Amino acid sequence: MKGYRKYFGKKILWFVITFIIAVILNFVLPRLMPADPVAAITGKLAQGMTDASAVQEIYERYQKEFGTDKPMYQQFFIFVKNAIRGDFGTSFSQYPRTVSNIIASAIPWTIALQLPAILVGWLLGNLLGALAAYIRKGFDKILMPLSMFMSAIPAFGMAVILLVVFAINLKIAPTSGGYSFDMIPNLSWKFVWSCITHYQLPFWSIVLVSIGGQAVGMRSMSIYELNADYVKYARFLGIKDRKIVGYVFRNAMLPQITGLALSIGTMIGGALVAEIIFSYPGLGSTMYSAVTAADYPLISATTLIITIMVLLSTFILDIVYGFIDPRVKAAQYD
Amino acid sequence: MKTRKLLSLVLALMMLCGIAASATAETVTELPRNETLYFGGQQWGTVNSYNPVGTNQNNAMGVSTATAGSRTIMFETLYMYNFLDGSMTGLLADGDPVWNDDLTAVTIKLKDAATWNDGTPVTAEDVAKTWEVSVKLQNGAAGTYQAFVDSIEVVDEKTFVIHSTLTEDGKPSNPLKISDFLVATFVAQKAWLETLEERNDGDAIAMLNDRAEDAAFSGPYGPYIDNDQQVVFIRNENYWGQDASMWGKLPVPKYIAHTIYADNAATEVAFRAGEIDVGQIFVPNIQNLWLEDNLPVSTYMDEAPYGICLTMPTAWFNMNNPVLQNVAIRKAIAMAVDYDAIIENAMTNQSPSFADVPRSLMNPTDGEQALYDHEAVADLQWVGNDIEGAKALLDEAGIVDTDGDGYRELDGEKVALNCVCPNGWTDWQAAMEIVAAAGQNIGLELTTLFPEWSICQTVFTNPNQTEYDIFMWSPDASGPSMPWGRVRQMLSSEFVGLENNWSGNWGQYVNERADEIIAAIPLTTDEAELKALYTEAVEIYLTEVPSFSLMYRPAFFHAVNESVWTNYPEDGDGRNIPPAVCTDGYGIAALYDLELVEG
Repeated sequence: MKGYRKYFGKKILWFVITFIIAVILNFVLPRLMPADPVAAITGKLAQGMTDASAVQEIYERYQKEFGTDKPMYQQFFIFVKNAIRGDFGTSFSQYPRTVSNIIASAIPWTIALQLPAILVGWLLGNLLGALAAYIRKGFDKILMPLSMFMSAIPAFGMAVILLVVFAINLKIAPTSGGYSFDMIPNLSWKFVWSCITHYQLPFWSIVLVSIGGQAVGMRSMSIYELNADYVKYARFLGIKDRKIVGYVFRNAMLPQITGLALSIGTMIGGALVAEIIFSYPGLGSTMYSAVTAADYPLISATTLIITIMVLLSTFILDIVYGFIDPRVKAAQYD
Repeated sequence: MKTRKLLSLVLALMMLCGIAASATAETVTELPRNETLYFGGQQWGTVNSYNPVGTNQNNAMGVSTATAGSRTIMFETLYMYNFLDGSMTGLLADGDPVWNDDLTAVTIKLKDAATWNDGTPVTAEDVAKTWEVSVKLQNGAAGTYQAFVDSIEVVDEKTFVIHSTLTEDGKPSNPLKISDFLVATFVAQKAWLETLEERNDGDAIAMLNDRAEDAAFSGPYGPYIDNDQQVVFIRNENYWGQDASMWGKLPVPKYIAHTIYADNAATEVAFRAGEIDVGQIFVPNIQNLWLEDNLPVSTYMDEAPYGICLTMPTAWFNMNNPVLQNVAIRKAIAMAVDYDAIIENAMTNQSPSFADVPRSLMNPTDGEQALYDHEAVADLQWVGNDIEGAKALLDEAGIVDTDGDGYRELDGEKVALNCVCPNGWTDWQAAMEIVAAAGQNIGLELTTLFPEWSICQTVFTNPNQTEYDIFMWSPDASGPSMPWGRVRQMLSSEFVGLENNWSGNWGQYVNERADEIIAAIPLTTDEAELKALYTEAVEIYLTEVPSFSLMYRPAFFHAVNESVWTNYPEDGDGRNIPPAVCTDGYGIAALYDLELVEG
């Protein structure tokens, strides 16, 4: 148990160090862009103005408000101080909206879209991969090339294909938005149904791409495990097939779980393509527009969320691994 | 079966999570399609505020001001500008503005019927207070007009006088800019402005950023819903404009709605699907929508250029680069560019060619074209793709290839320049590629550079920048002060050295005679004299080539999908309603004439 505690103590320390470095990079990197978002805000006001001192006054007023007149290290400490209280400042591109407000309204959509899509894609992919490895024959011959094909399609390609086929040509799915353009958000079945129909294409565009990749990975791992010595030995011993398959899948699952944890951690970045193509609300498109507009506070906040999510998911993964794989647990105890 | 159940449960839960995020307590759950006019291409991102004296409202439908026509669905201006004929029609104002003889003051009377949505009358005190607060807050209106509007004097409840600022010799500083003020700035209610001051303790930033959902408005629509995906306005059934002195009726659609799309592509898909009635997006080869796809889509004109072009996206030469101080190089590049290719490829013919409308400082409208002597400058108006002419010009100026590398040298240095516009602005990028190709054709090394917009705007508004050599930006489109305002933007040295320059002359060009002409035009009332001044300005522009326009372009890409609504303004329908997306300037008259397709 002492070893276990030591192991996790060390892990936590590394996570904290990684986190601090990531926070510094999240803050500094966007600010190294040669863009001046304060000038953009000033521009909206200063259009048509000829009085240089008046324009400068407006510019300085905003510089002061955003704190960009201070040296970067001071800005950093202000950022950290405020971030601890959950205050990420004011967005440049959506000024005067606060970053917290933007994120709060976007995050439920991203989670609602991504989490089920990642889980369904992962479950279906692994199931199909394992079946392909186990059944082989015809099933594998069809599934394998199909999975390879699916996993080779980039996410935006899949989204565009679904959009063109189902929304534009067949007209059986809506083209964009989180709900019908003529609905007003309310708790009625009609609205819920509208949300569900709008959910389909972005959801499947993520699921279909991830199924292919997961199936290919799971199939190879399962085949490898099926030929392992312990399987042969178990067969000699006359252990039932079903039991052996259980062992095999448990071992084959390990790398797949890492993949799952990482996809959950990088969910926001993954949502970007589907959200943009289907005009679906969420953090992915928020982050994209923040980057194009050099909106430092919003970029820093969204990347900070990604950092925390990746760190948390890998940390949880470490704990879960111990439970799934006794070998890992043993190593952790050492 | 169990898995399926579990999956459905998870999905349902996730859905509820999404709904909870956006659900607000509204009474109507669905906008009736036959009572709602949908817009597209105007609103990007979530609405920030409804503040008529604020800034950064990000509320395109509700609070947009422009000299070509402010959007008056919620707040109203004194006059509505009509870019078809340059006329100003009274909105809150009753009758024409009355100028005094020396143009230092203009008297305006408000309509007796004009009221706020709370039923109180719109008064001269409201106009004066709006200006007073604007100046105090230093908002956009103050920034633009403070140099020209000295004060607003209340004469009686419905009458006021705008006094112009004066030059040192006692002349009005610029009557044209006061006309701009009349069509572009909103009038807010005095009582509400006092509430605004009170609740923000007079703090300027807080007042500018106030969300102002409670702002009193005089226009036909008020705020209804806004969230991350839509913004909806609802008709004020007691709108004063149904009085015979104004429209005599209410606008037809009960709701004005704008769905928030991620980008132009998503907007176009929705427009094609009939989810948008009035689209303000550039659709390449828009005629194919009705010719090939058989969609009920139409534009103001059936034939190319399909709309009224009001502006001229322009390539500016950066005079901070010594190479570009050479007029032969500037003119040679401008002469060599294949403008027909730009208009055909980048604009898909949604622009008249430079053979149809020869280049000058004027946009293609008849009103502006009549302001200069075409014959006097005919020899100077190049149509483009004149490679031999451009080469001869460079040869004559001694700019030749001396080292045999295929590129010409100036003072022993190869002429190498970049051509810049923001990344993702595809039609502009295509135009800049054609400019760069023209350079290659005449032995100048022109290369394209497409930085992100956030970087591009930071650089080109900096008066000392040397990073961009030839870069694109548009002068203003239209308004009572045009084409004077455009002449000023193209040639005036008053913008030279201006930090954060969003106003004009981005290439930092200086010409004293041009400055004199720009100062003289606003005070000139004699038509012949005015024409002479404009002609001379065009002459300077075409001889000196401080910048060159690449195409003509509509201020609005006004296209309509007539699946639900019809009777939109059309060229030659006799109504004289400009294609200003049914909301801007006199273009709002279209809202009163709309009819349902299935009436």
